[in-house]
Order: sequence, then C-alpha cells, then structure tokens
Amino acid sequence: MDNTSENKVEHKWGMVIDQDICTGCQACVVACAMENNISFVGEEDAGYGRGMQWIRVERFWEGEYPEVKSTPFQPVLCQQCGKAPCEPVCPVFASVHSEGQQINMQIYNRCVGTRYCANNCPYQVREFNWRDYERPTPLENQLNPNVTVRRKGIMEKCNFCVQRIISGEDLAKSEGRIPEDGEIVTACMQACPTDAIVFGRLDDPESSVSKLAKNGRGVKLLEDLGTEPVVTYLKGGSSYARNG
Amino acid sequence: MEEMKTLLALFEDIDPAADAVEKLRNMGLSDDQINIVSGIPVTEPMLGRPHQWTNVPRLALGGALAGFLIGLFLAIVTPLSYPIYVGGQPLIPVPPSIVVVFEMTMLGMLISTFLGVFLDSQFPSYKPKEYVPEISDGKIAVFFSCPQEKEKSIISALKFIGAKSVEPAEAQQL
Amino acid sequence: MPEMVNSKIKTPDEFSEHLMFDPLPRGVMNDMVMESMQTTSWKFWVVAGFLGIIVLVCLFGAWGYLINEGMGVAGVNRPAYWGIFLVNTVFWIGISHAGTFVSALLRVFKAEFRRPFTRAAELMTTFGLVQAGLSIFMHMGRVWLFYFLAPYPNARGLWPNFHSPLSWDFLAINTYLLASTMYLFLPLIPDLAMARDRSKGWRKILYRTLALGFRGTEGEWTHLRTAMNIFAFAILPVMFSVHTIVSWDFAAAMRPGWSSTIFGPYFVVGALQSGIAAVAMVLVVVRATMKNMKYFIRPEVFDSMGKLMLIISMSWAYFFFNDYLVQWYNGDKFTDILLHFHESGPLGWMWFMMLIFNVVIPWALLWNKKIRRNPTILFTIGLLINVAMYIERYVIVPISLTINRMPFTWRMYKPGVEVWLSLGTLAFFILLYMLASRIVPLVPVWEVQEGQMAHSLRKVGKATVPAVSELE
Repeated sequence: MDNTSENKVEHKWGMVIDQDICTGCQACVVACAMENNISFVGEEDAGYGRGMQWIRVERFWEGEYPEVKSTPFQPVLCQQCGKAPCEPVCPVFASVHSEGQQINMQIYNRCVGTRYCANNCPYQVREFNWRDYERPTPLENQLNPNVTVRRKGIMEKCNFCVQRIISGEDLAKSEGRIPEDGEIVTACMQACPTDAIVFGRLDDPESSVSKLAKNGRGVKLLEDLGTEPVVTYLKGGSSYARNG
Repeated sequence: MEEMKTLLALFEDIDPAADAVEKLRNMGLSDDQINIVSGIPVTEPMLGRPHQWTNVPRLALGGALAGFLIGLFLAIVTPLSYPIYVGGQPLIPVPPSIVVVFEMTMLGMLISTFLGVFLDSQFPSYKPKEYVPEISDGKIAVFFSCPQEKEKSIISALKFIGAKSVEPAEAQQL
Repeated sequence: MPEMVNSKIKTPDEFSEHLMFDPLPRGVMNDMVMESMQTTSWKFWVVAGFLGIIVLVCLFGAWGYLINEGMGVAGVNRPAYWGIFLVNTVFWIGISHAGTFVSALLRVFKAEFRRPFTRAAELMTTFGLVQAGLSIFMHMGRVWLFYFLAPYPNARGLWPNFHSPLSWDFLAINTYLLASTMYLFLPLIPDLAMARDRSKGWRKILYRTLALGFRGTEGEWTHLRTAMNIFAFAILPVMFSVHTIVSWDFAAAMRPGWSSTIFGPYFVVGALQSGIAAVAMVLVVVRATMKNMKYFIRPEVFDSMGKLMLIISMSWAYFFFNDYLVQWYNGDKFTDILLHFHESGPLGWMWFMMLIFNVVIPWALLWNKKIRRNPTILFTIGLLINVAMYIERYVIVPISLTINRMPFTWRMYKPGVEVWLSLGTLAFFILLYMLASRIVPLVPVWEVQEGQMAHSLRKVGKATVPAVSELE
C-alpha cells in the first residue's frame, strides 16, 4: 500500500446497502469468505458466537408461522468509521486509519490479540481468530493468493476488499487513468444477485454510491454515536408492503 | 604525630548516649570524629548532633524532571516521528498525554529516590566495617576517634555516664 | 465521700493489651521474628507442596495449553471478548492496593496501628501485582509478542499507541510494580541487617547480600527515612492513578454500562474494599499459623481493620449507587436493558449476592467491637467481601459485555480454561506469600520499636491517656 505523500491516493470509499431488495440469501457472506480466506470454525464454535463472517445478515422476527412479523434483512459489515472507536484503543497501532482509502485497516502482523478493538466496536463487526482452524484438503486450494491467511490470536474484519481496491487502482494508474465507477467491486457486491450492495467512491459525486447515499431512505447505523460510518442503509420493509 | 584510636561505646538508651556525645565534644573531639550507629533512627536533635545532609530530595526532583521529559518524549516526539492517525483524534491528544507524562514523572521520581539512597549511603558495600551486632538489637553505638593519650580518660568518663562497654572498634565483615 | 467509678477510665495495666504499650526489649522482638521465620513445621511443606502442584498444573500447564490451542479454549466470544482474565487482572490489582494503603496512606496519616503489619501488607502488593501481570499476559491472543507494547526504539518504526488505555496500563502497572517493590525493600533493609546479624549459613549470605552493608549510621538512616517519606507521599497518587487507569480500560470504551464517568473513583474504592478485606484475611492466617505473631498482631489490629472495612464498604455503596442511579435515570435504551439484565437476567443471583456480601453483611456486623476483634468472624466477613468484589468485576466485564447495541450479537459468556488459570493464580499468590514468610522477616521490628518508644501514658486529671510523641 503506497502511502507516501507523493503518491497518496485520496479517495473515499463507501457503500450503500438497499434493505428493500436484499433477499437475505447470504451470497455476500459466502463470497466474502471465499475472497478473504476466512476460516470455517465449525458448528460448535459458531453456535458459541465465534463465527468469523466479516459480513453477517441480521434479522429479527416474532410470532409463529404463518403470522410471522420480521424486520428487513440487514447485512452488517465493518462500517469503516471516520471516527472509528476501534482505532484509538489498540495499544500497538494494529487498527489504524488508512489515509489513502479512508477506511479502517487491520494490520495482521502487528496484532497481539488484546481484543479491545472488538469490545469498543459498537457494530460488533470484528472477528477474532480463536483457534487455528483446519482447512481439510482440498479446501486449501480455494485460498485467495492476494489475501493473507491469518493465524490464531489475530483480529480481522472487513476491509472493503482492499486487495481489489489496490490492484484496481494500480491497474488504472498503469494505464494512466483513474478507475471507473463500478470497475472496483467488493466480493459481496459482486455476488449479490439483486445488486442490493453498491460500492464505490463517495468522493466522486457522479458515482452510483454517492447518488444512492443521498436517497431519502438512507440511514446510518447507530449514527448518534458519532462514529461517522461510510455505509448507508436504504430502509426497507413496513411502508413497502413486505410483511406489513 | 598523634595516633588516633577508634573506639566504640555502646549505650542502652538515648539519654546516656546524648550525654556521651556532649561529653566527647567537651573533651575536645569535633563532630566529624564522632559517628552514631543505631538500631532505630535516632534523630540528630535528640543526640545534639549537627544536621545530616542528604541528597535524596534533590535526586528525587532531578529524577522527576527526567521522568517528565521522557514522558513528554513518549507523548509528543514519538507520534510526530511516526505519525499514525487513529479514531479521528488529533496526533498528539492532550488527555492521554497527561496520563503518560504523569506516570513517567512519578516513575522517574521514585526510581531516582531509591537509587539516591544507594548512592548517598554507598550501597552496596561489603567491605569490613566497624560494627557490633548489638546495634540491631536496639543499642546505640557511639564511634569516635580520639588521640591516644586521651583514650583512658574518655573511656572512664563514658563508663561513668552509663556506657555498657567501650571497646576498640574493629572493622569486621558484616 | 462516694467514689465515682467510670468504667471507661483505663488503668495503666489495661493499656498493655495494645502492642505500642506493651514493649519488649528489641533483642527479644528480634528473636521472635527470626524464630517465626525459621520455624517451619511439616504441615507447612505439605500445604506448600500441594499449592506447588496446583501452580504447575493449573497455572503453567493450563497456560501452555491455552497458548498452544488459542483463545478458543477460554470462554471468550462475541460479544464478551473479555472475560475472567480481565476480572482476575482487576481483582489482583485491587488486592495489591491494600499494601500501599497500609504502608503509605496509614503512614502519611500517622495511624500507629499500622506498624506491625506494613510489610505483610506490602508483600501482598508485590505478589498480587505478579498475578495481575500474569492475568494480563494470559488474555493476549499472541502473548509471545507482548514486547510490542513496550516503548523502546526499534527497527519497526513503531511506538506503542498512547491513545490507548492499555498503553497507559502498561506504564502505570509497571510504575506501580517497581514503586511498590522499592517501597517494600527500603524499610526492609534495617530488618535484613538484623537478620544478617542473627543468622548463619545460607541465610547469612543471603541477608548479608541483600542488606547492602547497612549498619544504621546517621547518614544511612537519614537517607532511608527521607526516601521513605518521599515514597509514602508519592506512591499515593501512583496508587490512585493505577486503578483509575485500569478502570479507564472500561470507561473509555463506548459500551452501555461501561462508559461511566464515575468508574475512576469507583474502582479505587472497590480496590480498597477487596484489598483491606484481604489484608484482614492474611493477618488472621499469619497470626494463627506463625509463631510469636500473637504478640505483634493483636485484636486491636482486627478492630481497626474492621472499622476500615466498614467505612470503605459505605464508600463503595455510595459509588455503586452513584453509578447505578445515573444509569437507571437517564433512559438510554440499551443501558436500561443492561441494568435489567444485571438484576433479573440469568445471573441476577450473583448481582444480589454482591450487594448482600458487600453492603448488608458488613453494615450489619462490623459496627460491633466484639465481632471486629474476633479473627474467625473477621476472616469470614473479609472472605465474603472478596467474593462479592470478584462478582462485582464479573458483573462489570463478561456480564455487561453480553448486552451491547447490536442485539443480534447478544450471547452469554461461559468460562472455559479461565477457571483453572484463576485457581492457578490464587495458588501462586498464596505459595509466593508462604515462601516469602520463610525468607523475609514479616514484622518491621525497628518500626515497632520506634512506635513503642513514641507511645507513653499521661495523666490528664484523673484519667490515664495514651500519648504519641512525634519522634520524627
């Protein structure tokens, strides 16, 4: 990652998630796990709250079938906060703010595993490597060579597929242009069958993500905490006649 | 040339010891020829001794200053040299810097106080020294060096005041 | 003429139940301390051996297992990323505050009853901090990289992040550990000299080395006492700052129930609460098991400790209620849910036990002099207080972490290997203390003699009253 002052790329990356068209299919979860070499923790650990999905689809419901009332599906991932609460509390600077991409970075080889960042994240989107999880053959063949494989004791989280951002920008720079809108996609955006997830540059007013973020339905999660998340959720459900 | 002899007089209590010090002074010994060794701290005014200077407070202050500067270094110079922005906070935030500077100041003060004791008392020192084990049993020992010819008169005077013993002081391995 | 008899007037004889008015020759007291240090029965070695086994298996063995397998064998999960390890850390730092309180705060306030047990309390500080340090290391996911937290020039171009309360912890706890060890050692030097004069063999070599050639000259005493005065005053802000900084590990985070401005003083008072209770417990055991200690540690000590425990329990209740009332009142949805979860959740019984042991029992019993002076009862009350304080930290860490602002993630914490490791740290603490009692003269005899010299009886009118002279 090139962060020197001569080559600083000042782009602000953001995301919009339309909860009205999200079907809860969890293709984003699977794609993210494939792209980012996320470990499979097994049924027991996952049941104990140790699942390592960097994006999770939340919903709440009440009632018995067929009178079930439920909330819209809410994919929650790292909000890449402008004032990230996870950053100042890491004693070893493993969670820092990227000035080039304006996202929150997790530096794997610096992390000593105090887990303060995870406690301080109001969205609870940070995952910890509780063990060295096995990858029985032939699963190791699906590892993405662009992404580090993490060992036990390290914190990890969604980083907006920064490996794709960097390689996309490098490609564009080598061709003497800036990346087009929609050229750099995160794994979750790529996999979403309904295009509920839109990713792009928030600092480009013409990009689809900027335009969608201004939508009247747009809200941010836990906005009053002042964390300045860059993910905007377009509200769904109730007035849009899904479950009443 | 007068030959100086070092003698040790043991006393049970503060009053006879104080009288003894006065007596020795009357008999012509100067204050730096007299030393008191005791099993509990007996302050100088109790024995009529001159004030004992110590460097420990000055060293403590110096250590506090050194700690303060180290704290400032950690809080201010290190983020400036290797700037990393976190949490939307300024590079050198004031409240955390206060915590760091405070702790390093206290650490500097306390370490230098401790080492000051070592320095001033010349610890550790394992050479043979003049001492008798009765001192740690609460006795007060008055060491003094006097010229050879005064020795007998001083000894009898001290015994009269109430010294338990007046012996030549031998440097022995503690 | 009828005689007016007032039972409250003490006769000079009755004062001799106080240590300060029951002086023995220094040589006799020295003998007593040396004897109690060197007389060891076979029962001691049985207990020490048993504790040693627990330390090997439950501390080092289980820790090796934890490092090898990863944090997964502990009970931490999302959302309770911190669990018993942090509870232990806070608990042991709390215990360690007792020593400083006794040897520094009581010295500054010239509370004479502290004299016989300052060292016994200070040993608790050092060994408690060892356990706290171990617990901190245990909770780290990659503990072999612990040196990343140390501020020193290195080739990585990285210094620790001083924005983080954990970095403040690193500096503060190290400062406190060094300071309290130095403060333990300084008044120990004259007693080491005494031990050197009275031992033979390996002990003589040990004490001769550690006594540094101390004799008791005016210079040595002046330097020592000046230093001890500086330490007594300076270590108090360090003590307050350490537990405050530990509390900021929680208060600086934005979790419901954690981000409370009163955590600083609340934790300091909580530390004193568990610490003083622990000192009382240790003194009861020391007095019952070590020879000659009944001369030095008398019912008056338990009386004063009991009073302290009562007052501190009241302060704790004040701070607890302060924290609780403001959170209850202000209506933040998730804080509300958290408070209900504390009281009526699955572990609500722990919350009630905490209040009963920390408040109801001390307030009901410790006002009574007979109860305070009874070592067994005081030990029990101290034990219950420590159980309650452990529960308090358990409520603050894993139970409070269960409730956060993303209800989808709420999940209970179930301790795993931490239970063994906690047992290991407790056994290690007791073992270290027991071994130290064989090597370190437990009573600062020179301070006791100094105190006895300063205390005298005066007649004021018809009453005989105690008088304390300022010999310093």
